[in-house]
Amino acid sequence: MNAISDKRMMVVWLALSAITLTQLGVGSVDGGQALRPNAALTAGAIGIALFKVRVIIREFMEVRHAPVLLGRLTDLWLALAGASLLGCYLVGTV
Amino acid sequence: MTTAAKAQHRFVPGQPDMWAFVLFEALVFTAYFVVYVVCRTRSLDLFLQSQAHLDLRVGVFHTLVLLASSWFVARCVQAARERSFRAALTNAYLTMLFGFVFLVSKVLEWAAKLDEGFGFTTDEFFSFYYFLTAIHFLHLLIGFVALGIAVHQLWSPARRSQELVETCATYWHTIDFLWVLIFALLYVMR
Amino acid sequence: MSDSAAGTLPEERSGSLLRKVAWHWRYDEKRELWIGWWTLVVFYNLYGLLFFVITRTQPPPQPSLSPAEIAQWFADRHHGLLYGYAIVSIVGGATAVMNATLAYSMRRMSVSRAFAYSYLVIYALATLPGMLIMGVVCSVGAMRPDRDPALMSWLYDFAFLSFEGTMGVFLIGSLVWMAAVLLDENRVFPKWFGYLNLCNALTEVVVAPAWIFQDGVFAWDGEIAWWINMGVFVTYTTVFLTLLRRLILREDFGTGPLPELSQ
Repeated sequence: MNAISDKRMMVVWLALSAITLTQLGVGSVDGGQALRPNAALTAGAIGIALFKVRVIIREFMEVRHAPVLLGRLTDLWLALAGASLLGCYLVGTV
Repeated sequence: MTTAAKAQHRFVPGQPDMWAFVLFEALVFTAYFVVYVVCRTRSLDLFLQSQAHLDLRVGVFHTLVLLASSWFVARCVQAARERSFRAALTNAYLTMLFGFVFLVSKVLEWAAKLDEGFGFTTDEFFSFYYFLTAIHFLHLLIGFVALGIAVHQLWSPARRSQELVETCATYWHTIDFLWVLIFALLYVMR
Repeated sequence: MSDSAAGTLPEERSGSLLRKVAWHWRYDEKRELWIGWWTLVVFYNLYGLLFFVITRTQPPPQPSLSPAEIAQWFADRHHGLLYGYAIVSIVGGATAVMNATLAYSMRRMSVSRAFAYSYLVIYALATLPGMLIMGVVCSVGAMRPDRDPALMSWLYDFAFLSFEGTMGVFLIGSLVWMAAVLLDENRVFPKWFGYLNLCNALTEVVVAPAWIFQDGVFAWDGEIAWWINMGVFVTYTTVFLTLLRRLILREDFGTGPLPELSQ
């Protein structure tokens, strides 16, 4: 196996898993009993999710090595998703 | 090819056709997610209260399992590229294993929720919970078909189409990243 | 069909549209295919006009209307329903030609003929929930405006559940076409169209909750069960109409891979 590629993928996987584990912390923020919306937490959750998705796309799905157009299309979708999800949330809760 | 030369040679992983599908499905799912968020903002208290009945740790576990499965299928593609087909097959099987763990765990979670009295029609939040996780589950089942095709390719020297293996892997990663989003929306966001 | 093998066809006439059509009618060996394709295009447009504009049964109304409101709904559409569905009952048979054209695409593929035949059977049956039942039931509802609202309510549910909720037939049909496209070695359609069939099939599954909910996003008029589903379906239909046209242009009446268009 190509050693560099192999190691990089492992680092990526560990990093994504570590980030996911930190999200357990959300539970302790409100004891899982939040009865009030938390914009910061939500923005963080969606932002982190989109970041993770982008890493999966660029690393695991090898878009980093793909023609630039594919990278742009996937980034465009991510931007669209982020804007619409966060936008709808903020507009609805403000 | 040296690593540097490899890095400069840009290629589309798998069939471009699969990428068209991935982008289209991502858009459709995004539409579902937007509808979810809009409904959520209209019934904030209800959604928050119902969401409290979901176990965040289970959600995290599911995410970790799928991330691992993605890692294995990525390793599978790499191994196949290096023509280490035994390693590629092992990684494909590991992907299947972790995928299976997700399936079983998800069914157990549904059973637990149903046991607690939260069904598809209990309230709007749970309708979305079952809908999003079920449609994702369906995609995952199809993912096993894709992995089956990949394994079938890797098995015999007469086949081993790198393009097909990469295409199947691309589909699998899509299931993974769609879950990452579902996890954030159902389990984490407040 | 005229003997065109030796290249003895009269030259394709340039000139008025009528002359061109006449020429194609007499000499074009793809005549039947083009008739099939144009039938598809005209019918789908007519269908849209009939369901969305004349009868105004689409976008669908809410399942949660009261019997009195339902009676009013029928009253508001009295003439549109009767005339609109009268037209549907006349032109509905065109679906035979349409489905034959789609099945033809599968016959041209390298896969078993069973795919084409399965598709034909499924879509022949699909005319019932996809058009005719709705037409009959809504016409029955519109025919006697002073009918008991409770009965109107019954007709209303019957019409819309049968129309919006029975996407299962299209689901299987899409999967059959998908499998054919992905297995085909004659490159009749691009592989991404096979995957688009999968997308279409999956969105049909999403309609299933319409049987359970009377309001909300999963009801038969809901954002998820209808609107998003319709977005995918319209995309899908536009795409396959375009691809069918390309197929007919490329058609060489052989059994091997279809040649690409020289552009």
